[in-house]
Amino acid sequence: MNPIEILFEYWPRLLDGALMTLKLTFLGALIAGLVSPGLALIRVQAAPMAQAPLRLYVSFIRGTPILAQLFLIFYGSGQFRPALEEWGLWTFFRDPFNCALLAFALNSTAYQTEILRGGIMSVPQREIEAAKAIGMSRSKILRRVVFPHAYRIAWPALGNEVILLMKASALASVVTVFDVMGRTRQIFSRTFDFSVYLWAALIYLCITAAFVLLWRQAERRLSRHIHAPGTPRASAQPFKESQA
Amino acid sequence: MTKPETILKAEDIHKSFGRLEVLKGISLEARNHDVISILGSSGSGKSTFLRCLNFLEIPTSGKVTVHGEEILVKNGKPQNVRHIEDIRSRLGMVFQQFNLWTHRTALENVMEGPVQVKREPNAEARDKAEALLKRVGLEDRMHMYPSQLSGGQQQRVAIARALAMEPDAILFDEPTSALDPELVGEVLKVMQSLAAEGRTMIVVTHEMGFAREVSSEVVFLHEGRIAEQGPPDEMFANPKTEVFERFISKVK
Repeated sequence: MNPIEILFEYWPRLLDGALMTLKLTFLGALIAGLVSPGLALIRVQAAPMAQAPLRLYVSFIRGTPILAQLFLIFYGSGQFRPALEEWGLWTFFRDPFNCALLAFALNSTAYQTEILRGGIMSVPQREIEAAKAIGMSRSKILRRVVFPHAYRIAWPALGNEVILLMKASALASVVTVFDVMGRTRQIFSRTFDFSVYLWAALIYLCITAAFVLLWRQAERRLSRHIHAPGTPRASAQPFKESQA
Repeated sequence: MTKPETILKAEDIHKSFGRLEVLKGISLEARNHDVISILGSSGSGKSTFLRCLNFLEIPTSGKVTVHGEEILVKNGKPQNVRHIEDIRSRLGMVFQQFNLWTHRTALENVMEGPVQVKREPNAEARDKAEALLKRVGLEDRMHMYPSQLSGGQQQRVAIARALAMEPDAILFDEPTSALDPELVGEVLKVMQSLAAEGRTMIVVTHEMGFAREVSSEVVFLHEGRIAEQGPPDEMFANPKTEVFERFISKVK
């Protein structure tokens, strides 16, 4: 079979795999995105002792391969099946999709926390002071000044992290989740035609490209205040093009 | 004639950074319509003192009363922390570096306090903000971001932002020191007009012209204490202390 025939024959499966990849990546990044702001704040503000568990978690995630983390959850949970059954958690861990999602969410949370921590620490102190001086409460300052700035600063790095996560999600195929990679391996084992891997690569490439485009669009919106045409100081615009 | 009411009162403010005692007991009272200029050479503690008034710097000890609401500080601990935000919202502050929120337009900067702190409805805050920006001569710059404005324009937005809170008094922390010389005038003009309409202002400044002509009272700080204090005409005509005499001869 030539590559085109492969595509014609198997595109529904590949599409199915692409949707699974998107689902894994999107949900994983979203869960991490919801948890990381709180953790990043702890990393910036809490006492060193209170941060210790968080730092341990982050360095564990960053210091070990994501595949190892996935196996730890997938096979590790099997070891504790009786206990997990007792707590009613076995139904969750029995499903490889859940295990993969948990691994990716845990992984991305660690990275996003660190990225956001950097963003929070680069928020201009002066603007926080101005917010204090006008009588804003702490939580209001976080919502109106700190996080809006932190996310703008962290935005390109966060986009990068999502792309890395998307590519890492191919590992889910190892624990029998049928994402793009899982479907591709399945098709290959039937056809022994390597061109299906090319199609898989193309799918990943398309997803990444579409994502980069969207992310950059959002970035442009977020950084209007930097790119806006500067009337009196047009020559003093330090940022021409952002690095994504 | 009845005495104008006291707006702000600071009593025996001390502030130490580690072992260094920057403020060694400063008291100051601002009555309604007062324009007080605080002078002093660098390191005299004038900015620190100003920042103690709205607790951007927590004094080591002392008492600050704004419109009857008092905060007593002992051992670096304010006794009623909850009043701090309230006092801040009653005192406008204008910074040396403007400190505008760079991700918001001029108009949004001015609306932020009324909407977020005083919970005014958006439309009302917008009308007020537009009027204030007009007042500082920026009606055609309302939708620009701080990065698109010159230093003088940014500082005028910052003044409008402070005014939007309808403060009892406005604190100015060297408002013209970061400006190019040709932009100083436009900011001073706005400040002068505020003084003329009877705003209560406390101004840390190096602008001797402003201190002399606009303020009703001058306070000269030296090494963390008030060295001299009085109406500007008298003080500049006959300095009583040697340090102040030396100071004015140097800045002339």
